[in-house]
Amino acid sequence: MNLAVAFDWSFLTENGDELLAGLRRTLEVSAIAIAGAFFIGLVLGAARAHRVPVVSQVAAVYVEIIRNTPILVQIFFLFFGLPQIGIVLEPFTVAWVAVTIWGGAFNTENFRAGFEAVPHRFREAGFALGFGRLTTFLNVTLPIGGRIALPSSINTYISVVKNTSLMYVISYPELTTTALNINALTLQTVETFTTLAVTYLIIVWTMSASIRVVERRLALPEDAR
Amino acid sequence: MRYATFMAIPFRSTTEPPEGTGHAPERQPLDLREAVSFDPTCEVSVATTPVEAGTMVRLEGVRKSFGDNLVLDGVDLSVDPGEVLVIIGPSGSGKSTLLRCVNLLEPIQAGRILLEGEEITRKGVNVSAIRQRIGIVFQQFNLFPQLTALDNLTLAARRIRKIPRREAEARAHELLASVGLKEKAHQHPHQLSGGQQQRVAIARALMMEPHVMLFDEVTSALDPELVGEVLVVMRNLARDGMTMLIVTHEMQFAKEVGDRVVFMDGGRIVEEGPPRDVLDNPKEERTQQFLRRTQLSHTLEELTIDEEGGSE
Repeated sequence: MNLAVAFDWSFLTENGDELLAGLRRTLEVSAIAIAGAFFIGLVLGAARAHRVPVVSQVAAVYVEIIRNTPILVQIFFLFFGLPQIGIVLEPFTVAWVAVTIWGGAFNTENFRAGFEAVPHRFREAGFALGFGRLTTFLNVTLPIGGRIALPSSINTYISVVKNTSLMYVISYPELTTTALNINALTLQTVETFTTLAVTYLIIVWTMSASIRVVERRLALPEDAR
Repeated sequence: MRYATFMAIPFRSTTEPPEGTGHAPERQPLDLREAVSFDPTCEVSVATTPVEAGTMVRLEGVRKSFGDNLVLDGVDLSVDPGEVLVIIGPSGSGKSTLLRCVNLLEPIQAGRILLEGEEITRKGVNVSAIRQRIGIVFQQFNLFPQLTALDNLTLAARRIRKIPRREAEARAHELLASVGLKEKAHQHPHQLSGGQQQRVAIARALMMEPHVMLFDEVTSALDPELVGEVLVVMRNLARDGMTMLIVTHEMQFAKEVGDRVVFMDGGRIVEEGPPRDVLDNPKEERTQQFLRRTQLSHTLEELTIDEEGGSE
């Protein structure tokens, strides 16, 4: 059957506003989580790479817990587990906290690997010029290691966006939850899931395309490795 | 290529003292009028480093080991201001480590190192301030790959000394011109040849107005045809009166530019003296052996390989 013929285009006009509201929430949560994951990754990745006492060990435990448990379980824990000990979070809060923590853990590893890949001789050149440890990090390790970490951290950000769809389980009305609700009412399954898939495709495609541009502009020649 | 003078560009007008320095370098501002002399054979104007009484660098009983491996075994050495000291020796003899210890890149286990009379290996010393007085150039150039040649030069000046970008770039342009790379200011390291990168690295070290320069086998990673352009820059620097400690395998350069040659082996100084003595008429058997091997004064036919893999 031809999908284009089967597709009822009035689906979009009738449910457009609602879907856009869902999309807006998806983008909102994603933006917060990407910013948060970037920050967590930067700080904890640096702490791991430079073996900062205590922080490094705590970060290692954090990364292991998050990487080795399903994100669905983490969401359930935040939403259903925490109230048991008196911490009740809004669905919105759970939504951005969950993906931020998840993305931060993966990004910690991305940045750690990037920073560790910076040849020591570049840091030494910084020290020799009179840079302290922090100045060397900011001017040598971060710009070089950050570039090395860029492709893998971008994959993490893309996963963060896609993982926001799991907020369906706590009924946070982001894009997927909204679409499933519409589907339940209209039973227009083809229209619902096609729209949903295409929307995610466009978001992620746009992300990776714009990031490829950034990546090219920041690219280091291979002799920097 | 024309080389302007390296040190004729006073620079510290607004910036004294450097960041966080407990011991601001005691250094007279450069005054060309009193220190200029011209060598008719040289296209470079020559200014001597402001000279203070006493030695520039002094090592006293320096011992350094990596684990069980003793790399420096009680080294005593002193270098006068304006002196060019060339350190030669087989690999593993500790010569690179010696330079790295002087720049505090490696901690030492015993002895002490003095810079301009100040003990720099004592506890609580401001390492960053000390390192700004010591320039080092590495075998692998170690230019920051993400920055242009110009930014490689200005980064430390801007970040540590807080020199305004404009002022820093003006001086960087002059230094790049002085190493013959005026046109390459906006190129990234990977766009430059090894020889050009190494000259940028020298200019970068000079940017911090070091009182002494350390060269750690700076031509060893270069194609043979690019060695000369780096050595010329170093020669000019020596003529300008810079105090230099040079680890090299370029014996001809050592002879022409060095004021004194030190031969090291097994973490000790085996022999030292004027280049002509050490390189042409070495007294020690070990020095003679080393020079025979490096200079191939014998034809290859006469050389054999001993059981340890050394050639004789």
